[in-house]
Amino acid sequence: MSVTNLLENWSQFRHFHPVDDKPHDPYKWAMSIDLDTCTGCNACSVACFAENNIPVVGKDKFEHGQQMHWMRIERYWDEDVSNPGGRDFPDQGAQFLPMMCQQCEAAPCETVCPVAATNHTPDGLNSQIYNRCIGSRYCSANCPFKVRYFNWYDYPTDDSVWPAEMNQQLNPDVSVRSKGVMEKCTFCVQRISAAKITAKNEGRLVHDGEIQTACQQACPTNAITFGNLVDTEARVHKQWEAQRVEIDKDKQEKDEEKGGTDLRGYRILEELRAYPSVMYLERVRESAV
Amino acid sequence: MIESGFDRRDFLKVLGWGGAAVALTGCGNTSVQDGKETVVSYVEASDYMIPGVSVYFNSTCAQCDAGCNINGRVREGRVLKLEGNPASGINHGKLCGLGQAGVQHHYNPDRVREPLLRKGSGGETITWEAALKLINEKLTGVSGEQIAFLSGSVSGHLKVLLGNYLDSLSSKNHFVYEAISPAVQRAANKKSYGVEMPKFSLNKAKVILSFGADFLGSWVSPVHFSQQYAQFRKGVEGKRGVLVQVESKMTLTGANADRWLAVRPGTEGVLALGLVNALGAAGTALSADVAAAVKDFDKARVTKDTGVSGEHIDKLVALLKERTPSLVLSGNGAEGFAHGSQNAAAINLLNHVLGNIGKTVEAPAVVPFPQMLSANGNSASLKKLNDGMAAGTYKVLFSYAANPVFTAPASMKLADNLKKVGFKVAFAHYLDETALEADLVLPLDSALEDWGTHIAEYQPEGGQISIQQPLMEKLHANTRGAGDILLALIKQRRAEEYKAFDDYYAYLRTAVLQNKAALGGGATEDDTFWDETLTSGIVKVAGTTAALSGSTAITAPVSMASDAQYPLFLIPGITANLRDGRHANQPWLQESPDPLTTIVWDSWVEIHPKKAAELGIVEGDIVEVTSKSGSVKAQAYLFPGIHPDAISIPLGRGQSWGRYAKGYGVNPFQILDAVFDKETGELAINDTRVQIKKTSKRVIVIKDEGSGGGKQFGRKIAVSVSSNEVDLSKEV
Repeated sequence: MSVTNLLENWSQFRHFHPVDDKPHDPYKWAMSIDLDTCTGCNACSVACFAENNIPVVGKDKFEHGQQMHWMRIERYWDEDVSNPGGRDFPDQGAQFLPMMCQQCEAAPCETVCPVAATNHTPDGLNSQIYNRCIGSRYCSANCPFKVRYFNWYDYPTDDSVWPAEMNQQLNPDVSVRSKGVMEKCTFCVQRISAAKITAKNEGRLVHDGEIQTACQQACPTNAITFGNLVDTEARVHKQWEAQRVEIDKDKQEKDEEKGGTDLRGYRILEELRAYPSVMYLERVRESAV
Repeated sequence: MIESGFDRRDFLKVLGWGGAAVALTGCGNTSVQDGKETVVSYVEASDYMIPGVSVYFNSTCAQCDAGCNINGRVREGRVLKLEGNPASGINHGKLCGLGQAGVQHHYNPDRVREPLLRKGSGGETITWEAALKLINEKLTGVSGEQIAFLSGSVSGHLKVLLGNYLDSLSSKNHFVYEAISPAVQRAANKKSYGVEMPKFSLNKAKVILSFGADFLGSWVSPVHFSQQYAQFRKGVEGKRGVLVQVESKMTLTGANADRWLAVRPGTEGVLALGLVNALGAAGTALSADVAAAVKDFDKARVTKDTGVSGEHIDKLVALLKERTPSLVLSGNGAEGFAHGSQNAAAINLLNHVLGNIGKTVEAPAVVPFPQMLSANGNSASLKKLNDGMAAGTYKVLFSYAANPVFTAPASMKLADNLKKVGFKVAFAHYLDETALEADLVLPLDSALEDWGTHIAEYQPEGGQISIQQPLMEKLHANTRGAGDILLALIKQRRAEEYKAFDDYYAYLRTAVLQNKAALGGGATEDDTFWDETLTSGIVKVAGTTAALSGSTAITAPVSMASDAQYPLFLIPGITANLRDGRHANQPWLQESPDPLTTIVWDSWVEIHPKKAAELGIVEGDIVEVTSKSGSVKAQAYLFPGIHPDAISIPLGRGQSWGRYAKGYGVNPFQILDAVFDKETGELAINDTRVQIKKTSKRVIVIKDEGSGGGKQFGRKIAVSVSSNEVDLSKEV
């Protein structure tokens, strides 16, 4: 892509889904995460390290906020716990939230990239082109979810990250990133591509369950569902539909009605109109005890 | 998955050339250029070896004792990733973070690669022949009573071989040691239910009341229980299951509870008996013996002793009466006291009173090969070994899969007593604390290079034997499998009996095929049956079912005296990732934040914010925690999920070896008092009293949570809803 091309056709490159002239067809990858079954065990996070060649940065760099976990578990306490006048103990437990790139349909990170290194794929992924990235980090600054991670160092040449033997574990399907580029969760695009190619060779579409992301595959409680939102047979489609969450709305049915709607699907920071592709299901707490 | 029928040994031969293949892929091995290896063209590789295409092999995870079945992805002769085996009755295709990190155990740069012989304060490499010869010499003229073998939990053919070896030495001294184990519970269950480990059906329960059992994190078989937990949350008959957790230090399971009750340390048994009493008062039928045993535990007393309010007791009793069946679990949190067995018995009594026996506490399947069943580790065995060493009983000590120098409290003086043993042989993956004390170190294959059979202690769905097989060729030429070493050693004694077996693989294959009929092989050809076994990685066996029996007899737990000098309880944290610390040198686990505190790469002292305010401690203060047996210094973390009378330091850090472990954190095992459970002799890990003193130093706590300290400030990020506002039965 030349700069001229980029400038002349800018509206096309910052084109975001969903729009009428470019519907999602035949794929739109999406996820749903049930916070009532997520236990915060971190299996997803370690699986992601293993699958995606994520460097372990070590204690000092972690201290500087340079950790690289594409999939992280956020832990929240209820607001009134150990506040003055509040509860002494978190007696309804903690709140865990698996947080990774939300693959926004109108991704704030995409519009600010000066070189269009991050852009939208026709199947609804927010992709990152490592070779094009110049490391301005504007995308990270503009990400409301703080799920973009920057390579401050050249980890492949750092002996403490992948010393001899350890480097043999690297997944050949995933690029090892070098210094100065931004990276983030890809919805395991290498697994998606492999399945799409297989399906194409066999003259069919990818069917539900054929692709599992690494986090989903590891999750001991099956809290994560991944699939094609366009496919009416897909579990993820059925879940979004049952929860009345629509990808191109910034207010859902659940937000309209106050109290007992029997719905617990929501998207994080929906009001920012980034139109995330990840729906969360609220954690439930028993009222009788 | 590879179709059965190919020759497994051919596969290994091909992998033997894999080094050259790896060189072609350009991953750092430049030996082709050096001319050290022969380039073997891919054209000559077997049919299934296609460059760029992964093959998958089933094996068994060895990261903990749950024995999950794994499926390893292998490409160009290298194992890349582990997943769960979907056919497993234990983990059903799932795998925890600790299991995932198994590849970092295999590829770990700090593995021992050569047999090492102590020379003064250092060591020198020797050959295997010399090492085995030396062991034979050292055993000559030593009687069986003077030989001891210390191991972690061990099952399958390795256990059989180990037993036979000790037999050949006329020794009966096999000490099976695990620093963290449900040993108190096994004994209590045996009394309460008639079996050591019944089958707990979490997915059939409508209410789970857990007293310090961290079944989602580190207790017994966490991946299996996590799956059941998900079903339990979806609910029986559309009614979402309710989890109530009673403990003094919040565990991962506690963090997922609908109601987390902070109980004064050690009073879990009192609360359990109080609940029995209250259930009786609410109309639940109690036998005369039980009613008499609990009559003193009225609500006023229980509230006073435990700190749990009468309102919570009433709600809990109402819930337990209304929703049946329920399930009551006892775990490490309640059992790590001098009266731990009494606590566990009182907790188990609730299952009898609530009528859960046979419903959610079920008879377990038993694999019909008693000699292969798991020898389950406990800490009482280490005490016995330690006493023996102190008395100078042992001249030769073998150790395998145990690191007691790290995990035994300093007050047991184990390191000193080890010096009284004339010759110590360590089977080791790393030069850990125990291997460093040894006279001879034998380097082990990683779990992904070795053969084996395993029978997990906890058998959730029928009986199953799990097969462990190499996922790739050995990384280091001079490591050996534990089975191979034992076979070589036993040949020194019983050459005639074992001469047919060139290696442990041959032994294993023969042993499995001898039992083909019992293993469901029937009329299948030997080779076919063996290939099928390796392909599936699991042999399901028609298990017998143990009968449940058991009594409701209890001894009322004693009240605990307070200690003016050491006012706080030290409750060591058992984390899902680090456990007893044997895997601390796997960097994924170090960088994986602790779920509750989000701290990485270090130890911390959990202290309740109120107690911290009282003592003038703020986050990051380096505090000195002192018990009668020693002291450690670590950063303070203000943690609301802990009883103000207790503090907690996680176990598993503070090693003196390993590039990813050494220098990170402290080892709280060292300062535990030598207090033991009165009935089982288990180390009472929660029964150490400490004092805490602020030092003048303060650090920045390195953690994942933001500056908000885990608050959302009104933003809807992680959202909760009350159960009366949703109906899960309508969901997809």
